[in-house]
Amino acid sequence: MEPHELGRFEVIVLPHLDAAYTLARYLTRHEHDAQDVVQDAYLRALKYFEGFRGTEGGDGRAWLLAIVRNTAFTWRRRYRLEATATEFDEQLHSEAVADVHPEAALLGASARESLHQALDRLPPEFREVIVLRELQGLSYKEIGEVTGVPVGTVMSRLSRARSRLQRALYAEQEGR
Amino acid sequence: MTHSDLELQLDAYLDGELASRDAREFADHLKECRECARLHDARVALGAAIRAEVPALRAPDELRTRVRAALRSAAGSPVASRRPPIRGWRPLALAASLALVAVGSWRLGSNSAAGEALSEQVLTSHVRSLMPGHLTDVVSSDQHTVKPWFNGKLDFSPAVYDFAGRGYPLIGGRLDYLGGRPVAALAYGRRQHLINVFLWPAAQGPVRDPGETMRQGYHLLHWTTPEYTYWVVSDLGLAELREFAQLVREADSTASRPTAH
Repeated sequence: MEPHELGRFEVIVLPHLDAAYTLARYLTRHEHDAQDVVQDAYLRALKYFEGFRGTEGGDGRAWLLAIVRNTAFTWRRRYRLEATATEFDEQLHSEAVADVHPEAALLGASARESLHQALDRLPPEFREVIVLRELQGLSYKEIGEVTGVPVGTVMSRLSRARSRLQRALYAEQEGR
Repeated sequence: MTHSDLELQLDAYLDGELASRDAREFADHLKECRECARLHDARVALGAAIRAEVPALRAPDELRTRVRAALRSAAGSPVASRRPPIRGWRPLALAASLALVAVGSWRLGSNSAAGEALSEQVLTSHVRSLMPGHLTDVVSSDQHTVKPWFNGKLDFSPAVYDFAGRGYPLIGGRLDYLGGRPVAALAYGRRQHLINVFLWPAAQGPVRDPGETMRQGYHLLHWTTPEYTYWVVSDLGLAELREFAQLVREADSTASRPTAH
């Protein structure tokens, strides 16, 4: 690769390193795995950079995050990082919340803890939509590009994921 | 409409993903339906809780360094790695010497090609330094802070000046890697513009006055003193960059310069 081509890649893709790391960190839930995933993803991105030129106008973020995401899922399959989590099932993970209490968001230390635990326990397909939407502010369309599912699926996963987090917080509040 | 359908719509509403007409209808519905209003408040609070308690993260510096090194290595650029694998170089050197035998004018051609490659590297380093968090490893407008910072990090002690009085304040310094060796990089400011100065001990050779190159909208000045090889790069106008280079050259010739050691 020509040096200026690498320079171009670095200018377009490197600024999203924090976003890439955030996604990888929450998906793998391990510091070192996250770093390995990100490095691996960047090398893949470099390889596919030619392909990205066709979709000029995108800022490179969704494009890179899709690669990070796929790399993380490959790692998960390879190293069984999610061995303790149940296999993802769109139906199984979609029960509605029975009831909700607004005051659940006034977080004490234990509520904070249960929010993190609940997030950890989410299937990665749910966790990633939370990270992409709440932490990184992607639109449904961009989330769809990253995760490779239709916008309708993004919408329902996001809603279900939130309901589960809310339920976890609610249970915490009730248990006080 | 089932409960989860309602939640779905509520989430899309809060995320600003409903078509404007649907959003208006939903807002009207929220005013009338207490159950949905409660759900709405809970969702707003949940969103705030997530954003407050589940932070977006900053990539560790270690990872930043790793990724950059891996990219350079994979791209096969001349600055492939901070520790070039010794083994890999031998066949290359052999190939190079064969090429020398095969093509008589090789030396001449490669010299200008090497200069070309180096200016390319200088530009790449400059552009990379413009990214957040990449400009400086030591941030200081005080030359007496920046200069000692390089101690033990380089095998020479770079000349560091501050031209704040002339409108070119020193911003800081960092280590960089050019032409196969660690170099000092100094960052100076000029209004909204940034100037990167790269320097390292000069190889024995002719002292050269500034040569000027323009690449991708950036100006590059390059000169050699008896002690240092200099590269200066910026998006600043050429006249001002020349003026800046002149300041550096004057400072170099008047200051009691530290020598390479």
